[in-house]
Amino acid sequence: MIFRVDPHAPEPLFEQLGTQVRAAVTAGALVTGDRLPAARALAESLDINVHTVLHAYQSLRDDGLIELRRGRGAVVSAPPAPALDELRAAIDVVVDRARTLGVPPTTTLTLLKEALR
Amino acid sequence: MSSNSVPTRPSVPHRGITTLLALVAPTAVLTAAAALTWSWREDLPDPVAVHWGTGEGPDGFASLTSSLATMAIIGVLLAVMFWAIGFWWGQLASTRRLSAGASVGMSAFVAGLQLGSLDMQRGLTDAADAGGVGAVLAIATLAALVVGIGAALLVPGDRPTAATSSVPDDAPRAALGASERAVWIATIAGGPGVWIGASSILVTGVLAVVTREWWLLVIPALLLALFAGMLAWTVRVDSRGVHVRSALGWPRTHVPLASIEEASARDVAPFREFGGFGWRTGRDGSLGIVVRHGEGLEVVHSGGKRLVVTIDDAGSGAALLNTLAARAR
Repeated sequence: MIFRVDPHAPEPLFEQLGTQVRAAVTAGALVTGDRLPAARALAESLDINVHTVLHAYQSLRDDGLIELRRGRGAVVSAPPAPALDELRAAIDVVVDRARTLGVPPTTTLTLLKEALR
Repeated sequence: MSSNSVPTRPSVPHRGITTLLALVAPTAVLTAAAALTWSWREDLPDPVAVHWGTGEGPDGFASLTSSLATMAIIGVLLAVMFWAIGFWWGQLASTRRLSAGASVGMSAFVAGLQLGSLDMQRGLTDAADAGGVGAVLAIATLAALVVGIGAALLVPGDRPTAATSSVPDDAPRAALGASERAVWIATIAGGPGVWIGASSILVTGVLAVVTREWWLLVIPALLLALFAGMLAWTVRVDSRGVHVRSALGWPRTHVPLASIEEASARDVAPFREFGGFGWRTGRDGSLGIVVRHGEGLEVVHSGGKRLVVTIDDAGSGAALLNTLAARAR
């Protein structure tokens, strides 16, 4: 997959990487057992510090999306698909309700973020 | 697709060095070995032992003159053949390395066999008293490997040349912000080569055990290293270009961004296009790193050379490579 970072974006670099992996897992582009690139290779290619990549991988591990194994690197251990299907259906309901109520997407996002905190 | 671009065949560089390494050097080695063994003729039995079967002692004999002539003819013919490959089809460094390495290695093997098998007959009155040649074969094989690899390393590498045209507008692109940096990394392992490798290692290993020719174990060991280096690859596309690297770290290849004309994703047929699996050079200057049939990344670069790698998600890699190459111009 393509990994990208934008040093001019407000979001920290490690979060940018984490978001992409999360999105890929949600979309099914990354599945359980898939291996993420070696942190060193990713850092080298994106011209960022290797600790930034490791920071991203550690936060993904803390969220249970990947496992970090010595010698094998970062391996995706995403929750089974049905759980995500259920979540997607619930999000569809939220999006639908927000539209009918005329709530702007940014407000909906803010509310979601607050609720997740 | 890039089938419409660059019909001309890239020229073959470094023909002088290829001739020196693949023709002059092996001929010199063979001549030196023949001259040295000829100087031993007073000490050697007549006829000399020239062939060994599965038993301990020799089972074939010939005069020294005909033995030296046979070795020289076989050696020089093989050298000419290997040289011709590098001279006429050596667009890529790997072909030229193969040409020089095989030619020099072969000459060292032939010379080693000649020197070793005749040296142990010096002072004998009957060549039938000569012992086995297992040790000579092992040493000759090892010497062939060492000097062959040495010669291959002396071959100058490929120098990528700057792209001559801009990336075509209809080539796939990836969405990339002006300040965004991006990398595409993909890996591939396995393919039918695993079965070819496993069976050839098994067959040669069993052969060595059954015939009790312990030096034959060198072959499955070499095959193991060869297949391990040929069947798992990582492909990386970033701001420096495209890198393809074996899981062992070597072999690997790199095409800088400035040399890239166009990248595309397409179906690859390893047998039809490259005659097999693994690291493959085509006669048109293309390099194939092909482990299975199907989806692959094709990169046209350096005046018509092509790099073809079988890999999943090749479309993303091609799109990013085109985008980065266009941005770098």
